[in-house]
Amino acid sequence: MLMLAGIVVLHITTIILLLVATIDNAWWITDSISTDLWGKWVLTKSEWHYTNLINYPDEYLQTVQATSVLACIFATLALFVFVAQLFTLPKGQRFTFTGILQLIACLCIMIAASIYTAEFHTSESEGGYGHSYVLAWISFVLTFLLAITYLVLRKKSE
Amino acid sequence: MLTFLALASVVLLGIVPEQSQAIVIYTGWERHALVGSDIRLSCSFFSWRWTSEDVTFSWTYRPDGSRDSISIFHYTGGVPYVDNKGPFRDRLEFVGNPGRRDGSILLKNLEFTDNGTFTCDAKNPPDIVGRPSSVRLLVFEKVPIQAGVITGAIIGVVLGLLVLIVVIYYLMRFLVARRVFSLSVSKHGKKKKEGSQQRQGPVPPADPSKIKV
Repeated sequence: MLMLAGIVVLHITTIILLLVATIDNAWWITDSISTDLWGKWVLTKSEWHYTNLINYPDEYLQTVQATSVLACIFATLALFVFVAQLFTLPKGQRFTFTGILQLIACLCIMIAASIYTAEFHTSESEGGYGHSYVLAWISFVLTFLLAITYLVLRKKSE
Repeated sequence: MLTFLALASVVLLGIVPEQSQAIVIYTGWERHALVGSDIRLSCSFFSWRWTSEDVTFSWTYRPDGSRDSISIFHYTGGVPYVDNKGPFRDRLEFVGNPGRRDGSILLKNLEFTDNGTFTCDAKNPPDIVGRPSSVRLLVFEKVPIQAGVITGAIIGVVLGLLVLIVVIYYLMRFLVARRVFSLSVSKHGKKKKEGSQQRQGPVPPADPSKIKV
């Protein structure tokens, strides 16, 4: 019972981390800029202004957007399928469908973070990666662990 | 009575336009083109008067960021005069039909320096009061991708594949179950039908771990 609760809490935490990484515009931060994936916050005279991303590698940015959104979708789907399989799976079976969905989510966020690392801000000396970027990698690790857990776990057979 | 009405309408048509005489010129608002391609800038006008023989068309060009305009085309007295000294020499062609109120020009082999505003001014004597109309030309290196097209395409394709795989999986299970079901019916008759239905219960859940290698 405790294990079940722990797994569900961890899964929900992963979903929240993925959502923050996707929605919050903080993949790259300098003293006056907080940017990606959807727009750029620029600090001018102690006021933050939201601007568009121009002169950016367009195709790569849209791929990162798409894969991070897909990671969120698959993680949420995995949660629902897990709850459904808790009731419908015969005893002694593995939660394979859930595990596979979670694995796809892990793959998607890995693709997103990798493309971002390889293509964006490669030659800039000022600034560093923001909290959204860090959360993206952390959720990659967590989704991977959860996927392995679901693929190994068996439903309790009395 | 009829002749009176006809005369009155002719007089009115002659009088009314005298007060509301204004020529209205139509061009596009904005035109997009690729480098090296050709583009036709259209210009036409509306006037209450018949198209006169002294109708004139003038095109001027103002580059992006500049405040000066340069005249590049003039049609008057039935003769078109194209630019032979300016930025469009040998690249400008008159493709309009002044008799049909069309003063369009064709720009060939576009360059990035052709970005700017083109203004068409037409005069149809005695209808000369009017506002020139401008069209903005934007020259691109390649057609820009719309924001969000790739994002939406990737998300749609992946989710579509997922739905397709799930549907195919359940379809296969259903078809396999039905094949065994119909086979046993044809061989052993009605009694075996119930027996095979009972046996179908525990079998399908074992399939996922086999199929999903």
